[in-house]
Amino acid sequence: MTKTALPHVLVVDDNHDNANIIRDYLEARGYPITVAYGGEEALEIFERDRPSIVLLDVMMPGRDGWEVCREMKQNPDAARPVRVIMVTALHDWTNKRQAIQTGADDFVEKPFELSRLADTVERNARMLTPVR
Amino acid sequence: MEHEHLLYDGVTGLPTLQAAVESMRRVIVERGELLILYFNFSRYSKIEEIYGWEKLDAVLATTAAAVRAYLHDSPLRSSRVMVRYANDDDFVFFHIPEPGFEAAGDEQITEIISGLQKHVSERIEVAHGEDIASLFDIYAGRSHVMVNPKFRLERQIYRGVRQAVLASQSVEARETVKKLEDLRESIRTRGVYVDYHPIVVAETGEVFGYEALARGVMRSMRSPEVMFEVAARGDLLWELSRICRSRAIEGMQDRFDNGELLFLNVDPGDFADPTFSPEQLDAPDPTRVVIEITERTAIKDYPKFRNRLQAFRDAGFRFAVDDAGSGYAGLGSIANLEPDFIKLDISLINCIDENFIKQNLVETMIGFANDQGAQVIAEGVERAEEMAILKELGVHLVQGFFLHPAGVPSHTPEHLPIQVPPGPSTHGPKLGPDTRAIKSA
Repeated sequence: MTKTALPHVLVVDDNHDNANIIRDYLEARGYPITVAYGGEEALEIFERDRPSIVLLDVMMPGRDGWEVCREMKQNPDAARPVRVIMVTALHDWTNKRQAIQTGADDFVEKPFELSRLADTVERNARMLTPVR
Repeated sequence: MEHEHLLYDGVTGLPTLQAAVESMRRVIVERGELLILYFNFSRYSKIEEIYGWEKLDAVLATTAAAVRAYLHDSPLRSSRVMVRYANDDDFVFFHIPEPGFEAAGDEQITEIISGLQKHVSERIEVAHGEDIASLFDIYAGRSHVMVNPKFRLERQIYRGVRQAVLASQSVEARETVKKLEDLRESIRTRGVYVDYHPIVVAETGEVFGYEALARGVMRSMRSPEVMFEVAARGDLLWELSRICRSRAIEGMQDRFDNGELLFLNVDPGDFADPTFSPEQLDAPDPTRVVIEITERTAIKDYPKFRNRLQAFRDAGFRFAVDDAGSGYAGLGSIANLEPDFIKLDISLINCIDENFIKQNLVETMIGFANDQGAQVIAEGVERAEEMAILKELGVHLVQGFFLHPAGVPSHTPEHLPIQVPPGPSTHGPKLGPDTRAIKSA
């Protein structure tokens, strides 16, 4: 995958340190990144920029990750598909079921290694390329 | 505009009622009248329950496109707008007659509704298969608003919509009574036949068994979901289940040549039927019969239920948990039933190739099944991509449209009459006016 072909990623986490670490790591790998530090801000950026991949922390004050994911997936745009990756400890069946219900496509369990996070982003980036 | 997206439905692209009223205000006032048609697509929630929300979204999009295309070519094509109303499964259509033309008459509307039902049903069958197409009914109601400047326009329109809703509900009530009569007749004549859907070994493609799907001979009873829904309402579940079970076993004796297993759906409620016993099932070889129990229905008295299961187990019958993973219950409740087979809920299979969380859940279930000595069946496989992922994840058995496409004749016992007799049909027009009766065809 060439640098220019990499999809725009929106990183959403109310913990500034976490968000910035993820941003730096993915930016170094060539992804165009935008960061939001809360649910409301994430939805505004989403409407404006229509990123292709959203890395979404679940536990946030105000509008949590589930709510944000539901809103992002509610109005699908076939021309600009979005992949939502929940960043959370989805240990049990119920949580994962809930994630599917809200429309999430993938998840990264906390705590995670950055390389694992990058693999997850990469496999979702591959899903954006129409193969069918 | 902020929150503009709230004025349009994302799945169907249709405006909401508020947005439509606002944009049509001037034209409605100018024409002075408005015909409101309300369409209720019943049992769409059932689609979500069985196949998951992604499927319902897709069916809704197909429905909206089909309705739009049909109305576009109908005599109502001028000055019209269609909107999504309050729920997932209803649409409102405004027809504002062109200057110099009268609003469409009863007969014309009845004809349009009849054609619409047929068109939508065909489009859904092509896009989503026969089972989904046979599941739903359209109930339509109409009202005619003559605009009175003394009243607020919005109120007149909302009242008109409410009248049309009530009219459609009275049509639905009439149809429900008719369906119950059809079911009683089906039970009296044992008018049930069985479709056998193959379950194949994922690795080899070899047929392992068949799931029996009972359908009514009468067209109104063609969908098993509808037939059992009517039976539940009429307190006829046990009677219907007995006929379905015996039909399935009769067919097995006629058709299964190579030791295939029969997968038989049994509702946990059937275990309370005192006549339901290993002897009553009368299977020549109980070890070839797998009783499927759905995870969706709550089991009220677990110890008693397990005792009843044990009697069947002792006689040689095997068990499958159907729709596993459909709820939030997780693996604990599945383990309680000690199943020989675990049938994954269709919503986990639908688009599994595109969703890594579904893949993770299915992988977990397969690991769990391997530990328990059970086999996992993936139901509702529709696409090659889904099949490839399921094989990769190590699923043991698969079932679905991908392996059993439309056009492949199902194994129907020859001695059963499956021709559809003329008579009550769910596919005729069902239109209800606000104040006067329009005959259903």
